[in-house]
This record gives sequence, C-alpha cells and structure tokens, in this order.
Amino acid sequence: MGMLQLNDVSKAYRRKQVLKGITAGFPVGLTLLVGPSGAGKSTLLRLLASAEAPDRGEIIWDGRPLPGARKALRRSLGYAPQAVELPDDLSARSFAMHIAALKGLELAAADAQFGAIAAAIGLQDDLNTRIGAYSGGMRRRLIFAQALLGAPRLLALDEPTAELDRETAHKVGAQVIARARTAVVIMTTHLADELAPQAVQVLRVDRGMVVPA
Amino acid sequence: MSYAVARSSFTTNLARYAQSWGLWVLLLIAPVAARFMVARDDGFGMQVAISGHLPVMTPATLGITLGVLVSTLLMPAGFLYLRSNVTRRQPWQIEEVTGASRVAIALGRFAADVAILFAVLAVLNLAGWFLSWLVGSGPLDLWAITLALWVVAAPSLMGLAAIRALVDAREATRGGLGETLFFIVWLTIIAVPAALSMLPSSYAANMIDMLGFVRPLAGPGPMKMGAFSIGFTHVLPGRVPLDVMAGVQAAGYLASRLSWAVLAVALAALAGRLYRPHRAFRATRQPGRITRLMAARAPVTVDLAAPPAPFAANGFANLIKAEFRLIGEGRPFLLLAGVAATIGAVADYRQFGSPAALLLLVFGLSAHGARSETLRALTRVHALSPTMRRVAFVIAGTGWALLMALPGAATHLSLRPLMLALAAGGGAAVIAIVLAAISRAAFAPRLVLLMLWYGYFSTGA
Repeated sequence: MGMLQLNDVSKAYRRKQVLKGITAGFPVGLTLLVGPSGAGKSTLLRLLASAEAPDRGEIIWDGRPLPGARKALRRSLGYAPQAVELPDDLSARSFAMHIAALKGLELAAADAQFGAIAAAIGLQDDLNTRIGAYSGGMRRRLIFAQALLGAPRLLALDEPTAELDRETAHKVGAQVIARARTAVVIMTTHLADELAPQAVQVLRVDRGMVVPA
Repeated sequence: MSYAVARSSFTTNLARYAQSWGLWVLLLIAPVAARFMVARDDGFGMQVAISGHLPVMTPATLGITLGVLVSTLLMPAGFLYLRSNVTRRQPWQIEEVTGASRVAIALGRFAADVAILFAVLAVLNLAGWFLSWLVGSGPLDLWAITLALWVVAAPSLMGLAAIRALVDAREATRGGLGETLFFIVWLTIIAVPAALSMLPSSYAANMIDMLGFVRPLAGPGPMKMGAFSIGFTHVLPGRVPLDVMAGVQAAGYLASRLSWAVLAVALAALAGRLYRPHRAFRATRQPGRITRLMAARAPVTVDLAAPPAPFAANGFANLIKAEFRLIGEGRPFLLLAGVAATIGAVADYRQFGSPAALLLLVFGLSAHGARSETLRALTRVHALSPTMRRVAFVIAGTGWALLMALPGAATHLSLRPLMLALAAGGGAAVIAIVLAAISRAAFAPRLVLLMLWYGYFSTGA
C-alpha cells in the first residue's frame, strides 16, 4: 500500500465509463502513467489531485480516505493539469504569487523559490514578462513550475514535457526525478521510455483500466 | 465558395449556441423583465409615461413598451451574452490561415447571433401576447403587438449583433476597450434620439434613432421636450391614449427601420473587411522609456539555492494581501489610484473622488476577478478554497476603495468618504466576483459595473 491508494475507483461522464474499478497504490517515488490518448490518464490524475470525486470506490491519502483527508491532501499537493487558461495580462511572477497565496505559502519565500525553479527549467529571463508573450513551451513550463511551489508531497503532473524541445524536456525531467526522492510523483509523459528507469512503477492505462506496463 | 463559408459559419455557431446555458438565462430575462416593464396603475415598476401619465395599454402600446424594454435593458444583456457565451472562443488559429473570406465568416456568425437574438424576441413576443390578455385594454390584437415590437426591436438587435462583430474585428477592441466603446455607444443611441421627438417625422430624422422607439411614442408631429419619459418615474393618476400606429406609419419611419436592418448587415460585412488576425504572441520589442517606467517590476535576481517556501502563519491574511496586489497590478493602476485619491482629497468626494476611484476599481476588479475564475481548473485543488479566495477578493477590493478614500476623509475631516467607499467598493467587489464566477470572463462584470458606475456618477452630480 502506497502513500496514495485507489480502491476500486470508477468514473463516468454522462454515459461513458472512463475509469473502471481501478485499484492501485502510489508509493514515494516516480510513477509513470502511460497509455493511448483517451485511455483515462488525465481523468485518473484529476481524481488523484482531488479535482473531481470518483463515482465509486475510495481514494486514501496518508492512511485516511477522501473526502475526509481532502484538506490534508490539498496542503500537500502540486498539480499541473494538461490544459489551463493562463492569465495573459499577468507576469509569470505575479501568476506564481497568486498560486502561492492559494497554496497558503509565505509570499516572499515563494517568490524566491519560484525564481530558483524557473532558473532550473530555463524561464529565469522571462519572470517579469507578461504571459501573453509566452510561447506554448514556456506556458507548459510555467504550469509545471507553479506545481513545484512549496514542498509538495504529492505531485500530479499531466504531460509536463509536451511541447518542449528535448533539452528543456530533460531539464523538466531532472526536476521531476529530484522531487521523486521525497514525494509521490505521478506523471503522464511522452518521455516515458527515458524516465522509466528512474520510476518506481510504470502503469498502463487502457480503456479505463490500469495494468502494470 | 463564400456562400458555403458563410453557411458553414452560420450553422457551426448556431450549433454551438445549443450548448449555451446562458441562452436559457437570456430567454428568461426577457419575459420576466417584460412583466416589470408593463407598469401597473399604481405606477409600480419601470414604465413608459406620456406627459406624466401611463398610456392606455392597447396591444400596439404594449408592443412598443416591450420594444423599449429591448432598447434599454436587453441591449446590454444581449451584448454581454454575445461577447461571453460559448461562441466567444473561435478556432482563429486555424481560420486565420485559411483562404476563406473573412466577410463570409463574419456574416455567417452575425446571422447566427441575429437568429439567437430573434429567438429571444420571439419569446418576448409570446410574453407580450400573454400580458395583453392579462393587463391589456381593448380587444386582443396579437398582430398589433407583434408589429409594434418587431418593427422597433428587430433592427436594434441586428445593430447589436453588428456592433459585436465590429468590436471583435480588431485586437484593440477585443478586450475591455470593446466593452467601454459599447457602453458609450449605447448611452449615445439612447440619449441622442430624445431630441428627435421635437422634429417632425422624416426619413433623416428617424435615422438618428437607431433604437427606433422615439417616433412611435412621439407620434408623427413635433413633440415638446420631456413629453415622454422612461424609467422609474413618478406618474400622475389616470391613463392617456397613445396612438402608436400613427408613429409607426409616420413619414420615413418604416423606411428608416428597414435601412437600419440593411445597415446592420453592411456593418457586419465591414467587420469582416476590417478584421485583423489575433496576436498569439505579442512581439517582444525593445521597451521604450514609458514602457520601462510602467513595467511592473525591476529585473529579477534569482537565488538558485532558494529553499521551498514554508506555509504562511496566517494563510487567509496572506491571501488577502496577494489579492490586494493583484487587483492593483502594475504601475499604471498605482498611478491612477494616486490620481483618484488626490481628486477625492481636493474636490467633493461624492461627486468626483468616489466616482474616480470606483471607475478605476471597475477595471481592476473585473480583470482580476475574471483571471482568477478562469484558473478554477487549477486553483480548485489548492489549500485555500475558491470560496475563501472570493471572500479575500471582496475584502481586498473594499480595501482599495478605502485606501483611495483615506485622503478625502482626512482633508474633509469626515467619515463619510470611508462609509461611501465601504459601500461602493464592497458592492462593486461582490458584483465583480459573482459575475466573473458565472461568466468566467471580464466582459460581464466590466459592462455591468460600468453601467452601475454611470448611475452612481449621474446621481452624485
């Protein structure tokens, strides 16, 4: 049993069954979710991040089931969804401060931490640039960077390396591996082959079910 | 090919409207507002009054009353809807690199917008038939209601769809400037034609009245200034007859309404001609002196070894601080806040200081309210819930209003500026966040707050 545990979790949208009775444990370390598009990976990440509730089954964080443990999970969470409409009129730094405040973090320390994260993934020269001027890859890194703010014990990352060139994707990958030493990191990525040796497990999501890859 | 493009644009947008829950709200607003627009004998509600009296509610008068409702209340609601509904996101990244005619695309979308607005008008028409049975005088004449309503409202709504197409055509007016322009145009087309009632009916005189309700109320001949009024005004007992059809059949009136309908189509086509592509990424150019001066912050020195940020001792107070900063994001806001505070200190606070501060807040609150609500997919999983964020937003918004009122309170040695700021700033912040949460865009809060601001400003003078 991992820090995060799913027991017989199902989820449907209207009549389409997206996840079917998933049982899986997620220990500290990197878990890669792989599988074809539309298999249910992003839905699974949303459930793990408590963005949505399952129709059936239970999610357990640190030994306690949700929704009772939702507050504790959210205090420990860093979440990078696949698609977010970023505020074009804000600078990356202001955006990060908005997120830091919502995470309940001390603002000056979060500002300094954001600078360090940005430098590690090649965004340091554009911290005061308006997000409207960001490219697709820069936006993707910004979404990733905000997830790392604070000291999350659970990171749910949906394709953080999409739209990135190989070199930058490796920088992001290095950050993920570093975090996975102390946190539960669950990630979908097209770089699965390269990150698999660093992962504690690779799970294949296919037609709403999870099987070891 | 252009016909096929226009037809495709029309059917695609119309199909998207079918997914819009806001359409149901709009369909509900019209008949509910109609009930309050048709005044009772005791004068309850918003009314059209002729020489201080309510008109006899014949079917034609009822139709024109509903037409006035469209011109006054439904126009801004319709604009808000057209700007913020499901069709506001267009696949422009793909469309703009095709060879398809922009005029055809614009006309197709315009036609879909008009179809939706006409559906609202049809619902209002049905409500009018029901109201005629309920409160009308004389024999039930469904045709008279329909004619009086559509002849006034249909060209107006086509004009509304054309304005939407025009402000969406250019990058500069796709945001807040577009709403501000609409607000000014709307006030102008309501206020200017009132002068028309003093002129005898002619095609040229009636063309001044885009909304088309003045002539049916004023009749074919010249009328004294202030002979009719619209709004929550005091009315004298007894009703007076109003010959709406005389105004409708007056020289040049029907021709002017037809001309406005044709003009609306022409304006939509013009919007296609004027269309300029969206800017996906704003070019990074060497910033000038003013840009540097207005830049939010100085270049950052990064501490590569910065440790993870700890939790704040008081997360909610921390959140209020962050919301306060983000509402007042950027040096232009700070500069203008200083100007508004100075106006409040040196001039009458209610008349000048408070409206100046509130106008600035309209833009700050609607911008930050919308940006935080559009991030909901991300922020709903954070330690501090969306509800707490909204409460913090209202406190921070009220804080800005109070801060700008402080110099006024100090120089006038009065608590009144602070009380006004508390009420107006708090109210504006609540409206901004509620509308931003519903629409997930800045359009709705900005336009509604601008309208309320105008009312606040006018009553202070």
